[in-house]
Amino acid sequence: MIRQYLSEATPSFAWKNRLGNWRTEIFAGFVGAILVIPQGITFAYLAGLQPEYGLYCAIFVTLFCSILGTSSMMSGPNTAVAILIGTAVLPLAGRGSPVYIDFVFLLCLMVGAIQLLFWLMRGARIFQYLSPAAISGISAGAGFLIIMSSLDSILDLSTFKTTFFYEKIYVIISDARDLVNPYSLFIGLCTIAGGYVGRRFSPRYFIIIAVTAGYLSGLLVAFIWPQPITELEYLGRMPLEWLPFSVPTINMEYLMISTKLIPYAITIAFIGLAQSLVIVRELKMETDQDINLDKEVYAQGIANLLAPFFSSFAGAGSFNRTKANQSLGATTPFSGIASAGFVLVLITFLGPILTYMPMAAMAGTLFIVGADMIKWRDIKHYAKVRAELVIYLATFISIMFFGLATGVVVAVFLSVSVFMLRISQLELTVESSDSGVLLKVKGALFYASLAHLTERFHSHFGKNMTVDLQFTTHIDQSAVDFFIRESKHMAAHGARLTLLINDKQGHFLKKLGASSDIELVAL
Amino acid sequence: MQNMTLIRKLITVVSLITATPVLLMPSVVWAQQGQPTIEQLLQEPFLDDYYSNVVYGYEIITDTQNNASRYVGNSLNCSNCHLQAGTQKEALPLNVAGMYPKWRAKNGKRNGIGLRIRECFLYSMDGIMPPEDAPEVLAISAYVSYLSQGQIMGAEPEGRGVPTLPDTGYDPNPANGRAVYLEQCASCHGVQGEGMVGMPPVWGLNSYNKGAGMNDIREAAGFIWANMPLGNGKSLSHQQALDVSAYLNLQIRPSDPRDSKFLKLLEHLIN
Ligand code: HEC
Ligand code: HEC
Repeated sequence: MIRQYLSEATPSFAWKNRLGNWRTEIFAGFVGAILVIPQGITFAYLAGLQPEYGLYCAIFVTLFCSILGTSSMMSGPNTAVAILIGTAVLPLAGRGSPVYIDFVFLLCLMVGAIQLLFWLMRGARIFQYLSPAAISGISAGAGFLIIMSSLDSILDLSTFKTTFFYEKIYVIISDARDLVNPYSLFIGLCTIAGGYVGRRFSPRYFIIIAVTAGYLSGLLVAFIWPQPITELEYLGRMPLEWLPFSVPTINMEYLMISTKLIPYAITIAFIGLAQSLVIVRELKMETDQDINLDKEVYAQGIANLLAPFFSSFAGAGSFNRTKANQSLGATTPFSGIASAGFVLVLITFLGPILTYMPMAAMAGTLFIVGADMIKWRDIKHYAKVRAELVIYLATFISIMFFGLATGVVVAVFLSVSVFMLRISQLELTVESSDSGVLLKVKGALFYASLAHLTERFHSHFGKNMTVDLQFTTHIDQSAVDFFIRESKHMAAHGARLTLLINDKQGHFLKKLGASSDIELVAL
Repeated sequence: MQNMTLIRKLITVVSLITATPVLLMPSVVWAQQGQPTIEQLLQEPFLDDYYSNVVYGYEIITDTQNNASRYVGNSLNCSNCHLQAGTQKEALPLNVAGMYPKWRAKNGKRNGIGLRIRECFLYSMDGIMPPEDAPEVLAISAYVSYLSQGQIMGAEPEGRGVPTLPDTGYDPNPANGRAVYLEQCASCHGVQGEGMVGMPPVWGLNSYNKGAGMNDIREAAGFIWANMPLGNGKSLSHQQALDVSAYLNLQIRPSDPRDSKFLKLLEHLIN
C-alpha cells in the first residue's frame, strides 16, 4: 500500500521511452505557451490578482503537473478555479492588496492539501459520478460569468457593481452614453472581430490573432488620442522574476479568518480535480497514453500546494489547451514542461511590449473564451436525454443567478440524485402461470429500489410467488427483511414464496438470516 | 430558572469566544490608543486590511520603483517630491484627504483623491494612468487617509503644497538659472540633470514629463526654494529659485501625455 503511494508520489518519467518525436512535443509546448499567456493574464484578473500571478501559474502549476503527472494534459490557469478564488477572497480584503494575496495563497494551500487528501483516499473514482452534463453546465456557466466580467473592461465600467447580471445589462443599456467608454469599446470590438475573422483562417491560433488585433487597435487609439482623454486601462509593466519565491504568511489571525475559506477550498479542490480528470479520462480513451488517474490527482494536488511558494495561484487542467496540444500531436507530459519553459522565455521578451496592452483587448479575448464555453452543440447533445438536459440547464441557470460555487453544489446534488434514481430502478418481468407468478428481478435490490418491488408483490397478492434473483446485482439487509416479512404474510394466506438464487447469493442470504421461512432454490 | 442562568452563561461564554479574535486584533487596540506610527506598523506581524494597505501605500511612496513599477515610466519615486514620504510641510505633504473630493473645472467632475494619485503616475512619474481600482491606488489612498488623521475635513492643512513665492518684480531668467544650477545643484543632480545614485534626475527622459506639476515654473520654484539644496532649504533667494526653475523648465523631458501624437505628427508634416 505504502509502496504504491510512494511510487505514485515520485515522478515516473515513464514517458521518456515514448518520446519519439520530441520536436513535435516542443512545438506543441510553444503553441501552448502562446495560448496560455493571455489566459494567465485574464484569469489572474478574474481571481482579483495582478497579471504576473497568472503568468507564474502558467509556468509553475503547468510545470509541476507535467513533471509529476503521466499525461499530455495541460494544466495551469483555469477559469472556474480563478472565478472561485475571486468569489472566496474578495469579501475578505481589497482586490490585489497584500492581505488579499496572503489569503489567496492560504486558500491555494488548502486546495492543494484537500486534493492530496482526495489522492490518499483514492478519490479519483468519486468524479465518475459527476455527470458529464454537469461538467458541461459548469463550464457553460463559467463562460457566462466570464462574458459578464469581460464586459466590465470592454465597456470600462470598473466602478460599478450589481448583484444580478440582468441589472447590469439594464443599467448598461439605459445609461450607455454616460457609462460606456467608446475608445475601450472600440478596442474590445476590434479584438472580438479579430478573433472571429481569424478563426476562419486559423482555428488554432485565432486567439493570438485576436490579441494582436486588439493590441494594434489600442496603439492606433493611443496614437490619435492621449490617455487623459481616452482613460484607457493598460496592463502596465509587469515586475517579472524568473524564480518568484514567496512564503505564504500563516499566523493565528489569518487561520481564524481563513475558516471562512474552507467551503470554497473544498469547492475549488473538487471542481479543479473534476475538470482535470474529465480531460485525462478523455485522453485515456482517445490516445494510447499510459495514464494513471491517481497519479494525476497527486500531481494536481502537489502543484497547487506548491503554487503559493512560487507566487502563483491554484490551477487545473485546461480543456482548450489540452485540445490544441493533442491536435499538434503531443502525447507526453514533455509538451507541458516545454510550455512552462517557453512562457518563462516569452514573457521576459514580451514584457515590455505587453506594457501597453489595453485591458479592453485582454477582455475581448476573455469574451471569446467565454463564448466558446457555451456550446450549442452541448445543449443539443444533452437535449436527447431529459435528465441530462435538466442537470445542464439547472447548473447553468443557477450559476447565472447565484454564482459558480452554488452552481457546483447544484450540479453535484443533481448528478447524485439522477444517479440514485437510476440505480434504484429495477427491471421486473412477470410471468403468470397456473402454479403461481414468476418475477424476474434485474438491478440492485436495496432500500431505495424496494418500493418498486413491493408494488408488484402486492398486485399479485395471494398467489404463489417465485422470485428469480439470479441477475440481481446486490441484495441488502432491508431487502432480506422484506422477503422475510412477505413470506410470513403470504404463508398466513396459504401462499408460498420461493427465491431462485445463484450460489454466491445463497451464502450471502444465509448470513443475513433469510433461510428459515423462505424456500431457497440454488441454481 | 436554573435553565435561564445556564443559557445566559452559555451565551456569555460563546460571545467571549467569538469576541477574542476581535480583541486580539491590533487595530482595535490602536483605536483606543490613537494612531500607530509607521514604524510600529512595519513591525506588526498581522495587519488588518486597512493598515496593511497603509503600509503598502507607504512602501509605494518611498520605493515606487519596486512596489508600483507597473505604472511608472521614469526613475523617480513619489518621495523624491513628496519629501519624507509625504510628511514634510511645504514639500507637497500628502495629509490632504480632507481636501477631496473637490470640483475641478478641468474635467467638470468631482475628483477624488484617487484621480489625483493616478495623475501623478501619469505626469510626475511619466507612466500609465492606473485604473481607479488598482491595488496600488487604493493603497496610496489608504496611506493618504492615514496621514490625514486629525486634520479638519475641508480645511487646508498647514504647509500644504509648496510655498507661493512673492512677486520679485523680475521675470525668471534661465541664463542666471543655469549658473545657479551648476553652482548649487549639479553636485547632486548632475551637470546633465541625470541624477546619480540616491539623487533623482531633474530632467531627461528619466524625469517627470512636461505635463507634471513640477514643470510649472512657480510650483517648482516654491518647491526648490523651500527644500533645495536638500538639507539646506530656503538658502536661495526667491529670484534664484525662479531662475533655476525656469532653467529646468527649458530642458528636455518626456512629452506631455495630454498631447495627441497624431496632431503632433500632422503639425510636423505641415511645417
Ligand atoms: C516630480 C515630482 C513629483 C512626483 C515624483 C510625484 N508628485 Fe505628486 N505632486 C507633485 C506636485 C508638484 C503636486 C502639486 C501640484 C499639482 O497639483 O499638480 C503633487 C500633488 C500630489 C497630490 C495632491 C496633493 C495636494 O496637496 O492635493 C497627491 C495625492 C500626489 N501628488 C500623489 C503622488 C504620488 C502617489 C506619487 C507617486 C506615484 C507622486 N505624487 C509623485 C509632484 C510630484
Ligand atoms: C545634497 C544634494 C542635493 C542638492 C545640492 C540639490 N538637491 Fe534636489 N534633490 C536631492 C534629493 C536627494 C532629492 C530627492 C529627495 C528625496 O528623495 O528625499 C532631490 C529632489 C529634487 C527635485 C524633485 C525630484 C526631481 O527629480 O525632480 C527637484 C526638482 C530638485 N531636487 C531640484 C534641485 C535644485 C534646483 C537644486 C539646486 C538649487 C537641488 N535640487 C539641489 C538632492 C539634492
